[in-house]
Amino acid sequence: MTSTDVLDVRAKARREKRKRQVFQVTYLLLGLVFFFLVWWLISLEGSPFYYAIPSPLDTWRHFWGNLGTSQDMRIKFVHACPDLHPDNVNNPFRQVTSSLMGWKYTADTAIASGGPSPVPIGQLPGYCYGYGIHLLVTIVRILIGAALGTVLGLTIGLSSLVFPQVAQVFTPVASFFGTAPIFIAAPFFVIWFGVEIPIMTTIGLVTFYTTLLMYFFSRRAAENIPVGIVESALTLGGTPRSIFRWVYLPGTVPEIAGGFRIALAGAWGLGVLVEVLGIQVGGGHLIDIWRFLIGQIQAPAALVSLITFYGLLAVIVDGILLVIIRFITRWSEAGRRLGL
Amino acid sequence: MSRVVRFEGLWCVFEHRSGQLVNALQDVTFDVQSGEFVCVVGRSGHGKTTLLRVLAGLQPPTAGQARLGDQVVEGPGADRAMVFQQDTVFPWLHVRENVEFGLRAMNVSDKEREKTTDRWLEAVGLTDFADSWPRELSGGMRKRVALASAMAVGSDVILMDEPFGSLDYFTRRNLHEVLLDLWKETKKTIFFVTHDIEEALILADRVILLAEGRLVDDIPVRLPRPRDEDVRASAPSVEITKTILAHLGITEEEATKV
Repeated sequence: MTSTDVLDVRAKARREKRKRQVFQVTYLLLGLVFFFLVWWLISLEGSPFYYAIPSPLDTWRHFWGNLGTSQDMRIKFVHACPDLHPDNVNNPFRQVTSSLMGWKYTADTAIASGGPSPVPIGQLPGYCYGYGIHLLVTIVRILIGAALGTVLGLTIGLSSLVFPQVAQVFTPVASFFGTAPIFIAAPFFVIWFGVEIPIMTTIGLVTFYTTLLMYFFSRRAAENIPVGIVESALTLGGTPRSIFRWVYLPGTVPEIAGGFRIALAGAWGLGVLVEVLGIQVGGGHLIDIWRFLIGQIQAPAALVSLITFYGLLAVIVDGILLVIIRFITRWSEAGRRLGL
Repeated sequence: MSRVVRFEGLWCVFEHRSGQLVNALQDVTFDVQSGEFVCVVGRSGHGKTTLLRVLAGLQPPTAGQARLGDQVVEGPGADRAMVFQQDTVFPWLHVRENVEFGLRAMNVSDKEREKTTDRWLEAVGLTDFADSWPRELSGGMRKRVALASAMAVGSDVILMDEPFGSLDYFTRRNLHEVLLDLWKETKKTIFFVTHDIEEALILADRVILLAEGRLVDDIPVRLPRPRDEDVRASAPSVEITKTILAHLGITEEEATKV
């Protein structure tokens, strides 16, 4: 084989890798198209779901229209919400930015409108605000909880490899809570921390749940590293520190990363569930409000749009995570399949 | 030649799940001289790997001791790097990082580490694959990585536990040549466990024969090198083979049938 032939073979391999990547994106897009097509079909008049499920377009219109300031909700609770500046109501971009910037900016524009404020600004009920800020608050809470739980779970799990006493203390506790579905613990968290400290309740529960999962995954990942590899490291002069750094840390990444995906997927559901149970701000609270207003014409679109938002968000975040994980673990079989 | 390894009245007794005691090693005593290529031969389950693991410090003996120089072996260390039967190359490290592992653990400076790694990668013919992942290499190439990693840490004694057992005939022969070249060049002491008599005859200065955990014979192999087919078919070589087979309880007729 000449060097030109070798170059040809390599170019062909690169082309095939790109082809595989194009196929993967195409399948993903086809899946999305299929999802929206089925949704649209079951929302058509004549379908048994016609009254329960609005079309994707109506859902989107409702979601976008309520993202910055939710007029649909404010109308129901008009006595409790101050007027907002017309610019805020009519300009979707302004709605989103005002929501993202937080309560203060929204409050300032409310005052600027000259309208009376029946309650202190910043302490308005959740239904006075658009969906954007609620959804953002939930996302931030869940991500903080998942990050805290991951750090805690990994610290406890990996340190238990070095200090077996940690495992002796923590494993029975984790096993006890781990055997009961975490969703059973959710109401207790709401009662314990109450709706007064929503940050503690949502973040606390997600942290607790993620810590348990990541503890088990990190332990299992370390146990699954072949003994021969650790022994080989020892005979090459590996110290506990170098073995931890160069064997256990990289070797446990695939399983820990897989565990994190599972934990985060559960955390979305768990975080929203806790908010539905009584927290006054967040996407789950919006679902609770619309559940209360179920007789209203906008309710199906509101509920479907919020649920779809979280579903799509979870899928998108998981997809991003998957790409990152595959890059980090490109040494493994998964990396090979992706052509990295 | 000076003595580098000594086994003194070594016993290793394991308790089987049934409660029965199994003597993996029974009163094994012998010395290994510096620069020797020693092959430990025996049937499966007759104590070869246990003997090696005791010397590696991975298995404490029940009685007796293994000595490396004047030191009693009490744990693993880079002075006895080991190449294992199974694939123990770190899959998450590039080939270069694998070879560097022991040097990193010993806090060798970056410059020295790079120089040493390059040297051993070249010695095993993997310079062009330094930045490859182990999964991109064949089984034989991964064994070369393991061999380079063991050589790079600079230990005087290299332990090898049936390292080429899972490879095909041609790859194995190729790796025998690589190993013998390295041995000649470095004068390291190599302690090689195998159940393959032909492999022992190609490689060894001396064959230690184990049967049921006992040292049953210590056979010097004074055949000329390189030990090609002609040498292995010569009368002295055949004589050694017959001796080994007899000790293992296999007649020539049985061996031919196998």
